[in-house]
Amino acid sequence: MGLLEIEEVSVQFGGLLAVDDASISVPAGCVTGLIGPNGAGKTTLFNVITGLQAPSGGRVVLDDVEVTRRRPYRRARLGIARTFQRLEAFGSLTARENVLVALEMRRRWATARYDCGKIADELLERVGIAHVAETRVEALPTGSARLVELARALATDPKVLLLDEPSSGLDEQETDALGVLLHELTAGGLAVLLVEHDMPLVMEACSYISVLDFGRVIARGTPREIQADPSVQRAYLGTAKAAS
Amino acid sequence: MSQRWSNLLVWAGTIAFVVLVSKTAWAGNPVNGTSLTNLVVLALPLAGIIAMAASGLVVVYTTTGIFNFAQGAIGMFLAYVDWELTVHHGWPQLFVLPLVVLVIAPLLGIGLDRAIMRHLQGKALVVQLSVTVGLMFAFIGLANMLWNQNTAHSMPALFQGEGFHIGQVLLTWHRFITIVVAVALAIGLRILLFQTRIGIAMRAVVDNRDLAALGGARSSVLSSFAWALGCSLAALAGILLAPETADMSTTTLTFLIITAFAAAVVGRLRSLPLTYLGALILALATQWSGSFLRFSERWTNVPDALPTIMLFIVLLLLPRAEIQFARIGQVRRVERVSSVRDAAIGMLALLVFIVVMSMFVLSNTDTTNLSRFALGMCTALVALSLVPLTGWAGQVSLAPLAFAGIGAVAYARLGGAHGSIWAVFLAALVTVPVGALFAFPAMRLQGLYLALATLAFAAMVEEVFYSQPFAIGAGERSVQPVHLLGIDFTSKRAFLILVTVVFGLCGIGIVALRRSAFGRRLVALRDSEAASVTVGVNVLETKLAVFALSAGIAGFAGAFFAMNAGTLNGPTGFEMIAGLPIVLALVIGGVGFVAGALFAGIFGLSLVIIQSDWHISLWIGLTYLAPGLAVLGIIQNPSGAVVPIGEGFARLLPWRHDARRDYEEMTAATAEPEVGGLGLERPFEEADVLLVDRELGISNEVPRAVAAARSG
Ligand SMILES: Nc1ncnc2c1ncn2[C@@H]1O[C@H](COP(=O)(O)OP(=O)(O)O)[C@@H](O)[C@H]1O
Ligand SMILES: [Mg+2]
Repeated sequence: MGLLEIEEVSVQFGGLLAVDDASISVPAGCVTGLIGPNGAGKTTLFNVITGLQAPSGGRVVLDDVEVTRRRPYRRARLGIARTFQRLEAFGSLTARENVLVALEMRRRWATARYDCGKIADELLERVGIAHVAETRVEALPTGSARLVELARALATDPKVLLLDEPSSGLDEQETDALGVLLHELTAGGLAVLLVEHDMPLVMEACSYISVLDFGRVIARGTPREIQADPSVQRAYLGTAKAAS
Repeated sequence: MSQRWSNLLVWAGTIAFVVLVSKTAWAGNPVNGTSLTNLVVLALPLAGIIAMAASGLVVVYTTTGIFNFAQGAIGMFLAYVDWELTVHHGWPQLFVLPLVVLVIAPLLGIGLDRAIMRHLQGKALVVQLSVTVGLMFAFIGLANMLWNQNTAHSMPALFQGEGFHIGQVLLTWHRFITIVVAVALAIGLRILLFQTRIGIAMRAVVDNRDLAALGGARSSVLSSFAWALGCSLAALAGILLAPETADMSTTTLTFLIITAFAAAVVGRLRSLPLTYLGALILALATQWSGSFLRFSERWTNVPDALPTIMLFIVLLLLPRAEIQFARIGQVRRVERVSSVRDAAIGMLALLVFIVVMSMFVLSNTDTTNLSRFALGMCTALVALSLVPLTGWAGQVSLAPLAFAGIGAVAYARLGGAHGSIWAVFLAALVTVPVGALFAFPAMRLQGLYLALATLAFAAMVEEVFYSQPFAIGAGERSVQPVHLLGIDFTSKRAFLILVTVVFGLCGIGIVALRRSAFGRRLVALRDSEAASVTVGVNVLETKLAVFALSAGIAGFAGAFFAMNAGTLNGPTGFEMIAGLPIVLALVIGGVGFVAGALFAGIFGLSLVIIQSDWHISLWIGLTYLAPGLAVLGIIQNPSGAVVPIGEGFARLLPWRHDARRDYEEMTAATAEPEVGGLGLERPFEEADVLLVDRELGISNEVPRAVAAARSG
């Protein structure tokens, strides 16, 4: 039983069934991969989990508590954090202020007292952008802005972290660092759901992978099993290889 | 509260409101065939005019993403052009009407698009709104200058008011033609949008929000065409409406079009059939209230407020807005967050300046100028109320002066009559819940719709609030300046210094607030609501707080307005139309900055001084024209005038090394090549791909179709 359970979730946009009866289990302490071609419904599923999109059916359960009808900010307080595929950093705030906003919110419901400024600096250091702490995010390159979002998500001290294509815009070195960071985070008990197009990163970082195509989960298993699955190759890996 | 319940509540509230008002204000006229026929015969032409004006709004909004506040003013102006040619020069209407509607109006529209509107793409909402509001003022001002409003103007109806009878009710040819034209337009617009290439292209922009958000994706022909069409529709509405008004007052003609805002909102600013339906319902409601309801005493002005009341209700009935993701392609303001120390130094300098002025320059025997300076500081204080709300949280409010008015009345009623210091704080306290109430519509409505709701609120307060016996009622209320620390602030000089100190303290407080957790949270909410909620920000609570804060400051400012005026007389000084220039001036100055608020005060002050010392006919025009034209300056500098002024000035201060460094960085940054020359003057590199991706808000994934095509 995963820390986060997505049970038979469907999302309908007019005539389009963007997510179709998808069930995914995200256990604590490891990275779960969610891959699929563009338009498969991955981001929409993230929106459902975080409460930005109401599902037309199904349930989202966090730590045995159903959160399907909870407001997004309540889910955040229960321990769901995310980054966005299309950047949603607070552009006119500095990188450090971005993290501070999250920390200052968390201070309201966290039991332990702490120094926001100090933790903000630690988090920026940890994701590797301490050198741009005082730069406004809109002036940062995409990759760094993504890392700001990651630091901001971590600042909420989540139980589950949803990452929507975190490596896009990162260079090779930064991507490697991201892989290392993911290992560290999961070693601390965090559950990570990773949407990613960088196949080496996915295969290396994930313990389990679910494959989404046209809103349906068409395969799930270990990276090895997924690589061998013919339907996955047809739906996804084949086209990705051809494109690159 | 869930969406369904809050919708239900609004509908039930609306129905209860309508029933209650009809019951209490029932005039007792018989409801029979004749009176109902009369109602419909009167309502149909009105519906036609509303629909024409509203269609113009919709066409422009859907194609260019800009809501044209000036639609009514443009119609008014062109109706005057028509008047000038027909009545003054005696040209035949048969020739002039097509000339104005088909030639002059489209040319005006194309000119506006080229000169102004095109530069607004992707700017912050408050900037876009301010420019069209400014344009509205400019047209009113220009018309007031060209056509002296002290003499009555009247436009004859088509066919001299002759007509035919339906039962016992006369339908004039003028009104009949209005109906026919409206119907013909409905058919014409339908054909245009669905059968012609340009129309289909216009709709394509509407149907793709991402595309619509990208300035470059819109062809310039489309936007020029939309503006030309919008102005033609405005002209038609204005010319057909003019004979129906008593004296063609420029402001009456302009604001009758507020009903068209409501109709366009019924169509959610995109559906023309729904807009027509909205126009019909609103016209019926207007005529129904005119024929069957009678408002007297404290409710006398309700008919004048009817368009705004209807606008407010229609806005509340809109379905709840979804959580907003960051707007892509939006050019963000460059904000330098000033330190509390710098703010304190600045305020001290301001105080010294004002003290010196009041001692050595402004006469204490003729207090006119001291009074004007005090009014300027009060204005700055009202503008300050918008800095956190609009500048940081991005919630556009056009009603700051209405809150000040409520504060002024509260001051007068709660001890201000004998200058109690507590009354000042009570004034703020009374306005806080009123402002906080606005957080609820602000949860449902976003951006433009919220701005319209605040505008409607300002108009409703003006027409309905002050005439209530518990507020001011029919007479006047006199107030005293506060007594504080044994100082008598009845001296205008002392009062000016007091207001300056108050503004200084509030300003320092606001700067400190921006650097606090709350300030950061407001900016975060503006930059990305979606991201804010996912880090645990409670949007309702945050909006409640910022609306309450803003209203509190405005109410507080209102107390000082009241002290400066000495007597309160109906809505005088707090009218909706007096509040808009404050918003404009703040935007010109810089909506996110305390210095911008000060700028607004100085702007208002200069206007008052210039007006009173200039020639009379210019005076009338300038009230409107000056803020209208000045606001066009923000096209050049959307962050506000105080930004370059402040940067230039700060560099001169010996201790501001950071300002000098910022300046060097900025000049270095602007020296970098822009995307414009890409591929032509220099190669397209990986870094550019990222830049372009980022501008367009797309990720580096290959779209499925492309991938499939390549693999296949
Ligand atoms: N708000 C929306 N309204 C309508 N359709 C949407 C919306 N959001 C996403 N979609 C559609 O849902 C499908 C899934 O999109 P998305 O979840 O973004 O895919 P992915 O993240 O896997 O690339 C796409 O076809 C997309 O066009
Ligand atoms: Mg996606």
